[in-house]
Amino acid sequence: MSASRILIAIFLIPFLAAFLCPLAGLWRRRFVHPITVLGLSGSAVCAFCGLLKVVRTGPVHYTFGGWAPPLGIEWTLDGLSAGMAVLISSMALIVVAGSRVSARAEVGESVTAFYTSCLLLVSGLLGLVLSADLFNVFVFLEVASLSAYALVASGGRRARVASLRYLILGTMGATFYLLGVAYVYAATGTLNMADAAARLDPVMRTPTAVLGLTFIIVGLALKMGLFPLHGWLPDAYTHASDAASALMAPIMTKTAIYALVRILFWVFGTGTVTETFPVMNMLAWAGAIAVVAGSVMAFTQTDLKRMFAYSSIGQVGLIVLGIGLANKTAMAGAFLHVLNHALMKGCLFLIAASAGYAHGIRTLDDLSLLGKRMPWTMGAFWVAALSMIGVPPTCGFFSKWYILLGALRAGQPFFAFLIVASSLLTAAYFFRALEHTYRQRPERRNGGEGPVGLVAATTGLSLTIVSLGVLSLHVLRIIERAALPPGLQ
Amino acid sequence: MIVESIRPGLAVASSLAAAGLILASGRRPNLREAWTLIAALVKLGLIVSLLPGVCSGIVYQTDLFEIMPGVRLFFRADPLGMVFGLVASLLWLVTSVYSIGYMREIKARSQTRYFFCFALCLSSTIGVAFAGNLLTFLICYEVLTIATYPLVIHNETREAVAAGRKYLVYTLTGGGVLLLCVAWTYRMCGTLDFVPGGFLAGQAPPQSLMVLFALFMAACGVKAALMPLHAWLPTAMVAPTPVSALLHAVAVVKAGVFGILRIFGFVFGPSLLKSLGVIPPLAALAAFTIITASIIALYQNNLKRRLAYSTISQLSYIILGAAILTPTAFTGSIMHLANHAFMKITLFFCAGAIYCRTHIESIDEMGGIGRQMPVTMGAFAVASMGLTGVPFLCGFVSKWHLGLGAVEAGEVALVFVLVISGLLNASYFFPIVYAAFFIQPSKSFRKKEHRTALLAPIVATAILSVLFGAIPFLIERQHLLASLSVSRIWGQP
Repeated sequence: MSASRILIAIFLIPFLAAFLCPLAGLWRRRFVHPITVLGLSGSAVCAFCGLLKVVRTGPVHYTFGGWAPPLGIEWTLDGLSAGMAVLISSMALIVVAGSRVSARAEVGESVTAFYTSCLLLVSGLLGLVLSADLFNVFVFLEVASLSAYALVASGGRRARVASLRYLILGTMGATFYLLGVAYVYAATGTLNMADAAARLDPVMRTPTAVLGLTFIIVGLALKMGLFPLHGWLPDAYTHASDAASALMAPIMTKTAIYALVRILFWVFGTGTVTETFPVMNMLAWAGAIAVVAGSVMAFTQTDLKRMFAYSSIGQVGLIVLGIGLANKTAMAGAFLHVLNHALMKGCLFLIAASAGYAHGIRTLDDLSLLGKRMPWTMGAFWVAALSMIGVPPTCGFFSKWYILLGALRAGQPFFAFLIVASSLLTAAYFFRALEHTYRQRPERRNGGEGPVGLVAATTGLSLTIVSLGVLSLHVLRIIERAALPPGLQ
Repeated sequence: MIVESIRPGLAVASSLAAAGLILASGRRPNLREAWTLIAALVKLGLIVSLLPGVCSGIVYQTDLFEIMPGVRLFFRADPLGMVFGLVASLLWLVTSVYSIGYMREIKARSQTRYFFCFALCLSSTIGVAFAGNLLTFLICYEVLTIATYPLVIHNETREAVAAGRKYLVYTLTGGGVLLLCVAWTYRMCGTLDFVPGGFLAGQAPPQSLMVLFALFMAACGVKAALMPLHAWLPTAMVAPTPVSALLHAVAVVKAGVFGILRIFGFVFGPSLLKSLGVIPPLAALAAFTIITASIIALYQNNLKRRLAYSTISQLSYIILGAAILTPTAFTGSIMHLANHAFMKITLFFCAGAIYCRTHIESIDEMGGIGRQMPVTMGAFAVASMGLTGVPFLCGFVSKWHLGLGAVEAGEVALVFVLVISGLLNASYFFPIVYAAFFIQPSKSFRKKEHRTALLAPIVATAILSVLFGAIPFLIERQHLLASLSVSRIWGQP
């Protein structure tokens, strides 16, 4: 298969599967899940092939209908987008394949709608990372978000309120983003990223371009749940069905982060955002505040999934801090943390799904059952928690290490100190949860491990967490070679 | 001379493999315990097989792979690491036997988890001993912290969980500071490999190096229970006694002290430390810890807590010996690292044996217990005399070197510290021994001595403490290993 066909197949396979799902669902509902899994695995395989190709031979471009870029719509597969595509499609595959039983129990009759939304969500995110067009990014952001609102609403009565709130705030974010894009268009007369990058340089000091930059940052910060714009996130992740939150939590916020990095460094340019305007410095501070705030709020939670959600807010802050430090080391660390955090959060939410399905575990108090009855899940929980804290040799340690080194390189010892402190805060709330697993409970209940699929998925993810830690240098090499923004020091 | 060998790596891996096997054979206790014993024997055999080479000046190295740009994951059996590795693996074997006896005697729950974590701890302890650079050291050090936590809270009581929390707050904070130190060092030098005599000299202005040194000491000082960072250790004594014995007298706390020795000799180096002028405050803190912890120990009525404060005091002997910064005192430090382990583990074993039989923990109730348990209390007497510094027991040898080094350095005040602390040691240990043998029991102890699984380890470690104080050949060997590492650090032939 030629490189550009691979590029388009990454998106097209799950997108077509999304249309096949309702048709198959009308005929036989049991075909829906296999089709979803097939669509996602096809996409994951293509994404892997694409990544290999890009690392070997450099970026691949695709123009729709053969129209040349400034006029036609262009898609690009470079190291960063290929890496994100691999992450999105394989995480989605693991979650969807693993959570079959628990999803069936939760969504019941509407299983067709559920998996169709899943596929639309994934293809929206994939389209977003592949597209090299500012307006296209908006379209796919909305495709993904609309499916996400539907997925959140699948969690029952309380989820509908959470979904509405998510919808309002998410739409605000999208509007801000679109407004920003409009300003950029007004300043440059183009929507193609490469083209806009070339034309932005002379007009960068005009108010139009500056407004564009500001609106885009605010809009995407809303979408990624960057503190204090995180209001939609905890409720959405807590009340969504377990399978849906496990699908969304690892990849949704990460894709918004991707979009921000792509636009800041590839469209506005490294020089503009680090020197002309001190945007990166502001982002670093925003990230630093989010790390502390997210961790502190996570510590006060009693609901398991809610704790994970607040922990996500903290970790998004850490990634933004790494990006904001704007040097190669910290940026590579931030990209590594995008991958690692997706693995950890996916694992944690699947554990929550497993525990919820097997024993109805929802709060930290219930966790003693996890310790007594679910040895495999318990092991995975330990590994994921240690990685979140950043205990070596799990992968969470290594991404924090590079962000820490980047902070020292940038001459910011305060941020270095803050990163270590955030590890300790993370330790505080995760060990609070782990402590509960050792609490004695007089009551005896029946039942053991969760469904096989979930046990396999969580165990597999926890093994990946450890091995990606030990082998993190290889991932780092790929990032350094193919994914770092041009012109970064 | 550095020789590539797989043995240091295997020594680390052997108990890691055992940990997996233990988990897999959780339903068959005898098989499970067999894995523990086999791994302990294999580990000890591997390390002993390195001994002749290391004594003749060879350093064995297992180079694994590059884990960060320019930093490799590797294990290196040098003389300093060998001392710690030998002690830890020898005492693991003894403690394994004791653990099996103890846990079955008190019918403890979750024994699979217990032995799993124990094996993990030992793997990381040997990793700490053989770590070839700061990153490998950090990884093993952190794994040790985490693997010990389930052991501390093993009883799962409210008190144990609270103690575990305190333990984590202290040690994880220490680990965080260590992470910061290592990252800073990497940023300064671009390398983290331990070099005899240190590699930091001239890499940064003295002020930064002073801050870095203080941070390093704070990081390792937590596990080394240097005052005022010691509070977790007495609290963690709620753990089952074999855990206290191996981990809180040998593995965890010794990892902290060993880290301090490593940082002294292989990161900063004696000459840099002397020129920075950071040593006097540290020496003063160590001396303060020695005296204060001994005084606090006097007032403890719970036997294990008294032993814990004694440990805090004795650990600072090792730090003080390093801080004197003379070859003789450093030799004494390294020897005390080993000798204190033999004696303190004996004392903990005795405390555990007493608890197992009579469920007595407070010293007041121990009057006359020596008549029922003569072997146990005999071993207790030997070990406590050794810690006090009675000649022909191993504590004397290392204290002699410490004192000699202090005199060489012209620090007579420190000799006084050693003497006063010796007296204090005597005054908190001897009353126990006296009461055990010469006071009429207040209540009758019906049960007699233990079965062999509990008694043999006690006798073995007591004999070890005598042998390393009375047999010239063993003392000489131990001294040879210690002085080899010292001559590497000081760069003498």
